[in-house]
Amino acid sequence: MSIITYIVDNWGTLGPQVTTHIEIVAMSMAAAALIGLILGVFAARSERFSTLILGVTSTLLTVPSFALFGLLSIWAGLGNPPVIIGLILYALLPVVRNTSTGIRAVDPAVTEAARGMGMRPSQVLARVELPLAAPAILGGLRQATVMVVAIATVGATVGADDLGQPILEALGRSSGTLVQVLAGVIPVAAIGLVADGVLAGVQRVLSRGAARGAVG
Amino acid sequence: MITFDRVSKRYGRVTAVGELSLEVASGEIVVLAGPSGCGKTTSLTMINRLIEPTSGAISIDGRDTATMDVNALRRSIGYVIQQVGLFPHQTVAENIATVPRLARWSRRRVAGRVEELLELVGLPPGDYAQRLPAELSGGERQRVGVARALGADPDILLMDEPFGAIDPVVRVRLQNELLRLQKVLHKTIVFVTHDIDEAVRIGDRVALLSQGGVLEQYARPVELLAHPASAFVAEFLGEGRMVRRLALLRVRDARLAQPNGSGLPTVSVRADASLRDALDAILRADGGRVTVRDVDTVLGVIDSESIREASR
Repeated sequence: MSIITYIVDNWGTLGPQVTTHIEIVAMSMAAAALIGLILGVFAARSERFSTLILGVTSTLLTVPSFALFGLLSIWAGLGNPPVIIGLILYALLPVVRNTSTGIRAVDPAVTEAARGMGMRPSQVLARVELPLAAPAILGGLRQATVMVVAIATVGATVGADDLGQPILEALGRSSGTLVQVLAGVIPVAAIGLVADGVLAGVQRVLSRGAARGAVG
Repeated sequence: MITFDRVSKRYGRVTAVGELSLEVASGEIVVLAGPSGCGKTTSLTMINRLIEPTSGAISIDGRDTATMDVNALRRSIGYVIQQVGLFPHQTVAENIATVPRLARWSRRRVAGRVEELLELVGLPPGDYAQRLPAELSGGERQRVGVARALGADPDILLMDEPFGAIDPVVRVRLQNELLRLQKVLHKTIVFVTHDIDEAVRIGDRVALLSQGGVLEQYARPVELLAHPASAFVAEFLGEGRMVRRLALLRVRDARLAQPNGSGLPTVSVRADASLRDALDAILRADGGRVTVRDVDTVLGVIDSESIREASR
């Protein structure tokens, strides 16, 4: 049985799983982007906070996803919620790190000029630092998104109804076939590639001014 | 008028500026000069409170700056730095519009102001308004930096080694442009440099600082070069003070001799030339005398003796 006909024949189950998978990723990334951006700004301002938050977020990444989702499900119940929370925690490191690095890389002369002209700290951040750090921040979001799309499959073990389900089912049955596993893996890869491509496009557009102006 | 009243800045035990008292008169260019570590940049940035004094007060037209809203204060003072610090993600026009936009000017008024300022600094708006900073030469960038500082037409301009990173030829051109602009604008300008030649060329007055922000002498350049107040000042001024000072004096201010019977010397200088140029002409002329002309009118004759007299 060809993989394509299998996917078409089983679209009744796979379709909703694709939708759920995308929803889980989108929700986790939206929250991780917001939280990560805020933490990243603070990390750029304070060396001590930077060490602390980068330590915590990289430690989180070393916890096996299977175990993290399991632990979170004790508190958040089974289904999508523990997976979304877990994915947010995983996505933080690249977002925080890149936001902080991007802001720190802004030429001090540029921020000095901005302050010297009477911009409030919030205006310096919004009008100067974040726009100039945008390409780096987008880079962090890309890394995190691709990672989260893949890890979300493990969420099936705590009952998330995403593309982990067909894989888990196939692996759990003695009659499971490679085709069944691929029916989960291929849509996951496709989602990852599309998300990465879209974010890369946004990154290119945002980099235009900043990259050309790198020496300015 | 900007007044420093016993202003000090200390970092722990290190004194960057010690009890500095200084008055900058409105409409004048005052240059803060001195070797590195003399606190000149610290003194400058205490005016717009990028650095806050440890003690003492700075007032503008009698108002203590410490009592003013810091961002309102900064918007009322133009600020130009050596690295320019243009916003690389914004066009030249957007950069220049920064302070007017912060002050919430109308779109049309901002656009008009940007065009006016680009004309003022000699960059045709049609060519330059939509460029990014990376597409400009060093000299052009600093012109945009000056235009941006003049954005909302501040009375005061602070310039921190603005031409320090620019090659000598363009540098002299920018210095001349600044002097030309100042004839029209009459701003109160505080200008920091470590280059004494720039200081005496640009400044109406020069404040010479030594290590720890100690004011060694505050005088007009002609006075400074003729009568250095201390060995430190004399050393900082360097060799050939009296000859360099001639560049600051005009031929028309010297006492000219009337031409005698033997006719006018063939070599001539313009009345608004410097005494340095006149001396150069005298050294070239056969008789040791040159004719002084104001356009076509002969004003008299000048020789080395009248230069010596005028330079006392």
